[in-house]
Amino acid sequence: MAEYDLTKTIIPYLDRHFAFPLLAHLVEISLFPIEQVSAAQYELAKGTNMVDYAQNLYEQLNPDSEIPEEFAAKREKAVSTNEQLQQEAQAVLDVIENPDVAQALRQDKNQNLTYLKDNYGLTLEQITALYNFGQFQYTYGNYSGAADYLYHFRVLSTDTDLNTSAHWGKLASDILTGKWDVALEELNTLRESIDARAASTPLLPTSSHVESLSALHSRTWLIHWSLFVYFNHPAGRTLLLETFLAPAYLNTIQSASPWILRYLAVAAILSRKAQQAPPTSGRVRHAIREIVKIVQLEEYQYSDPITRFLKELYVEFDFEAAQRELQIAERVVADDFFLSEFREEFLDNARYLISEAYCRIHQRIDIADLSERLNLSRDDGEKWIVNLIRDTRMGADAKIDLEKNVIEINRPALPIYQSVIEKTRGLSIRTQALGAAMVRAGTQQPQVVEAAR
Amino acid sequence: MSRFLRTAASDSSSSSESESDDDDEDDDDEGSGSDEDVKRVVKSARDKRLDEMEATGKTMDNALKINDWIAISNEFDKLTRMVQRQQNMSEPVPPFYIRTLSSLEASLNAALAKEKEAKKKMNATNARALTAMKQKVKKTAKEYEKEIKLFQEDPEAFEREFAAAAAPEPVARPARKAPREGAEDGVTGDADDDFTTVGRGGRAVQYTAEGIFKNLQAIQEARGKKNTDRADQIRILESLLEVAVTPYQRIRVLLALVSSRFDYNSSVASYMPIELWSSAQREIDLLIATLTADPLYSVQEVTEDYDDLLERTPEEEKDGVVRIRGSIISFVDRLDDEFTRSLQHIDPHGTEYVDRLKDEKGLYCTICRAEALYEKKQLSEPLARVIMRRLEHIYSKPDAVLNALESAASASNVAPALALSSHPSPSSLIHALCVHLYQSGNTVLRTRAMLSHIYHHALHNDFHTARDMLLMSHLQETIHSADVATQILYNRSVVQLGLCAFRCGLIKEAQATLQDIFTTQRVKELLAQGVHQQRFQTLTPEQEKAEKQRQLPFHMHINTELLEAAFLVSSMLVEIPMLASIDSEEQKRKTISKPFRRLLDFADRQVFTGPPESTRDHIMQASKALQNGQWEQCRDLVQDIKIWSLMPEAAAVKEMLAKRIQEEGLRTYLFTFAPHYKTLSLSLLSRTFSLSPRAVNSIVSRMIWTEELPASLDQSAGVIVFHRVELTRPQQLAQTLAEKVAALVEQNEKALDFRLGGTTGWGDRADGAKGEKRGEQTQERRGRGERRGGATRGARGGRGARFSQGLGSQMARTR
Repeated sequence: MAEYDLTKTIIPYLDRHFAFPLLAHLVEISLFPIEQVSAAQYELAKGTNMVDYAQNLYEQLNPDSEIPEEFAAKREKAVSTNEQLQQEAQAVLDVIENPDVAQALRQDKNQNLTYLKDNYGLTLEQITALYNFGQFQYTYGNYSGAADYLYHFRVLSTDTDLNTSAHWGKLASDILTGKWDVALEELNTLRESIDARAASTPLLPTSSHVESLSALHSRTWLIHWSLFVYFNHPAGRTLLLETFLAPAYLNTIQSASPWILRYLAVAAILSRKAQQAPPTSGRVRHAIREIVKIVQLEEYQYSDPITRFLKELYVEFDFEAAQRELQIAERVVADDFFLSEFREEFLDNARYLISEAYCRIHQRIDIADLSERLNLSRDDGEKWIVNLIRDTRMGADAKIDLEKNVIEINRPALPIYQSVIEKTRGLSIRTQALGAAMVRAGTQQPQVVEAAR
Repeated sequence: MSRFLRTAASDSSSSSESESDDDDEDDDDEGSGSDEDVKRVVKSARDKRLDEMEATGKTMDNALKINDWIAISNEFDKLTRMVQRQQNMSEPVPPFYIRTLSSLEASLNAALAKEKEAKKKMNATNARALTAMKQKVKKTAKEYEKEIKLFQEDPEAFEREFAAAAAPEPVARPARKAPREGAEDGVTGDADDDFTTVGRGGRAVQYTAEGIFKNLQAIQEARGKKNTDRADQIRILESLLEVAVTPYQRIRVLLALVSSRFDYNSSVASYMPIELWSSAQREIDLLIATLTADPLYSVQEVTEDYDDLLERTPEEEKDGVVRIRGSIISFVDRLDDEFTRSLQHIDPHGTEYVDRLKDEKGLYCTICRAEALYEKKQLSEPLARVIMRRLEHIYSKPDAVLNALESAASASNVAPALALSSHPSPSSLIHALCVHLYQSGNTVLRTRAMLSHIYHHALHNDFHTARDMLLMSHLQETIHSADVATQILYNRSVVQLGLCAFRCGLIKEAQATLQDIFTTQRVKELLAQGVHQQRFQTLTPEQEKAEKQRQLPFHMHINTELLEAAFLVSSMLVEIPMLASIDSEEQKRKTISKPFRRLLDFADRQVFTGPPESTRDHIMQASKALQNGQWEQCRDLVQDIKIWSLMPEAAAVKEMLAKRIQEEGLRTYLFTFAPHYKTLSLSLLSRTFSLSPRAVNSIVSRMIWTEELPASLDQSAGVIVFHRVELTRPQQLAQTLAEKVAALVEQNEKALDFRLGGTTGWGDRADGAKGEKRGEQTQERRGRGERRGGATRGARGGRGARFSQGLGSQMARTR
């Protein structure tokens, strides 16, 4: 199964600290030799300020040898830096935590700055101390503290670059502390800022090489980081589909990180059930169809049991092969850091997909055969199928003939008027949208021209 | 030859140029000159002219004796010309001429008198010559009236006077000849390593190291003038090269020599003689070698002004580098262009073509040398150009040829940084070259490199990479404004991509890619492999000439017949099942491939069809067989096409085609005969089309799923059950109308998208609205029309959209 493990592919796109949970997961599933994984963990920890953790790992790795001196030195240095930075930051914090100040602060950052400067003598450098301290806290693993400081810094600072950096830092801290709601919010604002930056730079082929490249990079990072959020937040899967299927992100996935298709595919399969529940956007509803197309397109770049399952099912219609792939895919899902919790759900939904497709194509189905396709025992299969018929709208069309042990599906042809209605449905809305867009275009264009001047 | 001309100079009408040519190589002359002093050499040149005149006079006398007035007339003309030239050089009229003139006058009068007496003795032409002669002599005599009078008074005194005037003559020569004289003066200094050459007009010219710059200047001044003899100039420069001592001199002479070699052939229509080309190539090599060996000299297009006539050394220059005006890159460009032009003119089916093609190795080495030179000098702009030249030589070549070229380059000790030896495979070499060009600032070069890279990928059956590159580059949006050569390259790349898709078995992609170029019906013209016959307008000669110049040499051609076969076969595989699936007349107008459809309709109208002969015949009959469900016959017909042998891995391609034909045959069969069956056994289908039951199952399932086929499977009985609903006429019409309205809205949306120029904002909204449209329409209830659109565009459109985001041309770096 190791060949399907994506940890190694993903880690380069993550922050150093994200790698710890990933590696810890690898230790749990024991896909790789434990010594190697913990060696990797140690190497990772060495680069951070989490000296104690690194020391622990070192002891684990070399139980016999002495603990090198450098740890103590490093620890001391970290502690002293910490104190120094804290002092610097404390000054700012004292001011900010003053309720008067909190009330006086407004939306306008520049105004805030002058206010703080005039009344409390706070300079920009001091505020930057907040950033530094936050970053330092992050490096030694105090994520919630880091999140606080970075938040304050962001409220005050006007420096765009540092602000972006603080943004990423805040997101990372939130993810690592497991505050998924906050993280999701953070993720969305970050995404907006990235998109806004990309949109503001014109798409001229000559000028924007660097910008579009950096947009590509930050989107790739965002996609990888967001996996943490999306697979832990309760509504995450739907949101994942929403985000990843947006053209800009789909492009990023296709050109820079095709392996994300696995998560996209799993999310699409998982969201199948959601379809019947509250109405979601069109993008999510047609996710599977869309993803199958992409999977097919990117097959030369990336394929794993999960994408192959979709392909066998919806492109080749080879139910046996799909079944085989599903078996492997189940194990892959179970081993994956992000997906392991969804194993059951995934299997369930995948079965639904198989039986749905199967029923649509066949008129008379042998229950035993279908059960086998679904990898279920005969009794389970029957129960499953009854549930299926009850759940889906096939109710009226499908009947089980217990004597012959078959399901009869009787699907009357779609009346012609209905298909005409369906074809013309929404045309007027689309036309209205056209009209609205034209009006908007008319008003926007003069502005663009002015801006160009 | 020269000897012959020399002795018979009197009766040949040789011009002064050919005379001087001969004298240049004349050993005798050199021998006689060597034991006399310089002055004598000069004088002898003048004397010789006088000798010549006298010889002419003698011939005239002889002719006079036999009363041959035609010969006399000719000789007299020559004599007059010589004298005229003499005068042009501001030398006095020789007394000999005057003497001849007066004696001629006398004998002419005598002859006329005699003529009157004996009329029958002379034939008509002779008589005419005589009268003409009379006129001429009268005219000339009037010109020299004064001299003749002087001569007649006292012949002795006249001759003396002439001798006196001639003596100080060499000093009084006009300034124009100063360089030559300078050269002569130099001889007295060191006579050992010089040799004497007789220059134009019989003057002896010696080339020495000191005089090189003056000579060069003279040649440069004469360059481009109407009656300069280019061959002569080249010869002078060659001898100058031999005497050049310092690197500076050598570089200067080489620069002039190479450009005069390229000047040799001024007409656009023909190509440079091959010997000249090879010597030019040798000299460029030499030039590059000189420059590489001595980094203190550099040739640049823009330099500070310097005195052409002075010797320069690195020590005297400010920064220790001698900069010389000139451009090696333009030499290399020109050399390459001339090579291409010669290939355009040589008959590609002769051995000459192959022989010429062998020179490519040398040319490639030269290009590599130039590349190494520019690498060393770190001049990025010419380096990019020279790399482009190199790339153009190798991008369309199969690996074996590329290897041969590269090994030739490495064998001749050329060491550009990018060589095959440092790369594991030819493809990675191409990649490295292209990446270098992507990083250069020149957009044209970047585009061309991108296209060459795509072509190369396609040639190596790397369809996906090639397609991604083409789409990411966004070239299809801007190619219309590019120059013609780049457009041709674009067409070539696209066509090669289509062939690549065909070889990989991606029939739909192949069809869609080749479609565009085939609907124009001008494939040859678009690929620059032949001139298109215009039916309604005629080209102006200039246009035609330009067109001819653009043509690719034969060895670069993509075989159009093979291309057509690939296109038609893929069209067949796409179009025939679609044709079979259509049941109403209105829908029949929908076509995927117009050219194919046209041919098919034409074949249908044929009353009698004989056995297939051409590729098209084969494919048309195969299409018909496919329509009738006779897949085996179809397969045999397609596989019988001879042109496949030109395709690499022909056997594999044929096998792939056979498999496709089986599948499409099954689909066509189902479409065509579904109305006539209620159920159809799967095992029968599997037997008829010799496909595995699993494959049949898969194909049928897919057709049901996509609602191409109104049917379902009965697993227990192993049959397909058809549920066909006959539509009434109004129902059909209603459906068509609905489809058309939907298409209209879609068109509108596209038009707006195009106008707004982006997919942001508005595109999102449209997407949401489209979702609305589908409303309760579940996945299983998709319309047929939608399917069709998806089938053709799906593969490209899905991806195409993603590239509109401006990630273009980044991939070289991100991958």
